[in-house]
Amino acid sequence: MLQFGQFVVTRAFMAVVTLLTVSFIVFTLMELVPANCAERYVAFKNTQGGQITIADIEAEERRMGLDKPYALRWASWVGNVFFRGDFGESCILRVGINQLLGQKFWISLGLCLTALVFAYAIAIPAGILSASSNNATLNNSIRFFSYLGLAMPNFLLALMIMLFSTVVFGDSLTGLFSKEFRDAAWSYDRVMDFLSRAWLPIFILGWSATAFALQTVRALMSDENGKLYVTAARARGLSGRRLLWRYPARHALGPIINSLGFDLNRVFNELPIVALILVLTESGALLIEALARSNDQQLAGAIIFMLTASIVVLNFVTDILLAIIDPRVWRSIMGGG
Amino acid sequence: MTDVTNTALSDSATLQEQKRKEAYFTASQLQLIWARFRKNRSAMAGGVVLLALIAMGVFAPFLSPYDPTIAGRDPTYQNGAPQIPYFWDDNGFSLRPFIYSYERERSIKSNFRWVSKVDKDKRRYVRLFVTGWEYYVIDVDVDFPGKTFDISFRMFKSNLHLFGVDEGKIHLFGTDSPGKDIFSRTLHAIYTSLAVGTIGVFISFVLALVIGGVSGYFGGMLDSVLQMITDAVRTVPAIPLFMALAAFVPDEWSAELRFLFISIILGLIGWPTLARRVRTHLLTERSQDYVLAAQLCGASPSHVIRRHLLPSFTSYIIVDLVISFPYMVLSETALSFIGLGLKDPVNSLGVMLQNVTKTDVLLNYQWYFIPVIFFMALVMAFVFVGDGLRDAADPYSGHK
Repeated sequence: MLQFGQFVVTRAFMAVVTLLTVSFIVFTLMELVPANCAERYVAFKNTQGGQITIADIEAEERRMGLDKPYALRWASWVGNVFFRGDFGESCILRVGINQLLGQKFWISLGLCLTALVFAYAIAIPAGILSASSNNATLNNSIRFFSYLGLAMPNFLLALMIMLFSTVVFGDSLTGLFSKEFRDAAWSYDRVMDFLSRAWLPIFILGWSATAFALQTVRALMSDENGKLYVTAARARGLSGRRLLWRYPARHALGPIINSLGFDLNRVFNELPIVALILVLTESGALLIEALARSNDQQLAGAIIFMLTASIVVLNFVTDILLAIIDPRVWRSIMGGG
Repeated sequence: MTDVTNTALSDSATLQEQKRKEAYFTASQLQLIWARFRKNRSAMAGGVVLLALIAMGVFAPFLSPYDPTIAGRDPTYQNGAPQIPYFWDDNGFSLRPFIYSYERERSIKSNFRWVSKVDKDKRRYVRLFVTGWEYYVIDVDVDFPGKTFDISFRMFKSNLHLFGVDEGKIHLFGTDSPGKDIFSRTLHAIYTSLAVGTIGVFISFVLALVIGGVSGYFGGMLDSVLQMITDAVRTVPAIPLFMALAAFVPDEWSAELRFLFISIILGLIGWPTLARRVRTHLLTERSQDYVLAAQLCGASPSHVIRRHLLPSFTSYIIVDLVISFPYMVLSETALSFIGLGLKDPVNSLGVMLQNVTKTDVLLNYQWYFIPVIFFMALVMAFVFVGDGLRDAADPYSGHK
């Protein structure tokens, strides 16, 4: 048990190191964007009428602490993020990023995780079925579907669904809330309204993740199916679902859990673009807003960091989960027996 | 008598068998891969489609009847529907395909949108090998900021096109709102996608080779540090990262420069997966005897990597490159679609799809979506060929 604790601590430490590296990459990128936050803000003010001078910019830089050396600024940014969960202020909107993102981030994370669950809920049974049945039509249709999932990116699917629903129903199915609930407080009705509209983004977000997961499950299962222990179990008289769930499916489970983190990555990839098409108002849309329209590097950096952080956290959780269901994982790393 | 012929027959059969075996044993790795690849029907079909699409992209200027930029627009046929060539109609049969003439009008009936009224009695005949807008067969032209350094390489001016009509213009896939021919734009977009993918894949390939090679060959501390960085880059969701990087591009850059920059970004982010594969291969290979032998002979690390280790898994690398190609194409499409990637004079699927979410387009101009079919075909073809190559390159795939 002690060793297991050690394993958890090591993994947690590694996750923190990854987060630090990521924060460094993100911070550096945001620094490399031409023009810094102060210039941008002052220039923005300029468009509202009013003159700007070099002195204005410098005063603003001092106020934001942009005159300090690079490493120091990174340290203070990371420190604020890690210890206080504070991402600072948005460059242009002058509002705390936490306040700006808050609920929106959790809604998007919820959407993405649901999409992931949905993807695996379809992929696991379908993959097992396709790997172990000899039905050619079924096999080919599952294969075709998964190739289609690879070839048709989610945003094209979203466009196609929009095209279809506009032509057939005359409604483009966009937005996460109906008009009357958009700014209302959370209530039972609002949740119901949300659910009645959220299925489409969830389906679209889960689309290519499903295809990838399906391929993974299928490959793993057909690898395991050919192994001797399955033949042995079959020789003992086990068959059908009992055989599948008891032996090969359990073996295939490990790599599948392992791939969860990367699938979340895949879903996050689609988030901003799908958000744009379906006119959603969560953090993916905010990211596009921050990057495409206003070049707000503080906000963009915060969003990218938070997305990555949730992947790192998921990876950590899956590592632990994997270690729980399969003790060999941590025993091999910690060297115990 | 029959015995003799039988033995002769079986002799020739064994001879053939022997020859076949000999050919198999002496075949180079490439020949073996090709032999296995050829048996895979879906991969072969994908390969044919892929070659056709590549040809369409490369010969885009010749195949497209009109200039895909604003210069080639057809002001008399904006937002026009696709014109399908016919061979016969009520007025009789014609060996030469034809389209109809039309009148454009708008009135309160059409909500003041331009609609075309087809005039079935006036035919426009399709002609092959017509002269039209001028283009260069080889055309590389990048205008860097500043005056000192530009790339401009143009050769073989021509104005020959595969087809056109004798009067007016033909728009197989219709036109968009300024009147640009969607067929011509699609062909040029295929070219753009292939070019972006090629540059991106090449850059990520070089990076992956260097980083993965160093990490796998030297191992130890260096390996751990490089792995940490690779993992960190791999965890960051790629599209948001692309978007952040693409936001750097100043608006005043020329379209070609933007194009180059976007491809480089795609390459800079795509390397981690491939680098990991290279590293894994090197880790398993570097403890082999032949590497030790080379080292004992005094070969330098770069020599060992290049001459001994790389050839041992070239086929895997090629497969990985083919597989990663469609993701480059799709990322570019996504970026351009949200307006952070390529911009107008350059044609790409993303650029062409920029305006399609408008209800007006969704309801009235569905032919804006025709290019999507070509791109799905392109990506599918790459996926099929990549899968086929992977199976063919794996010597154990047949035994499963």
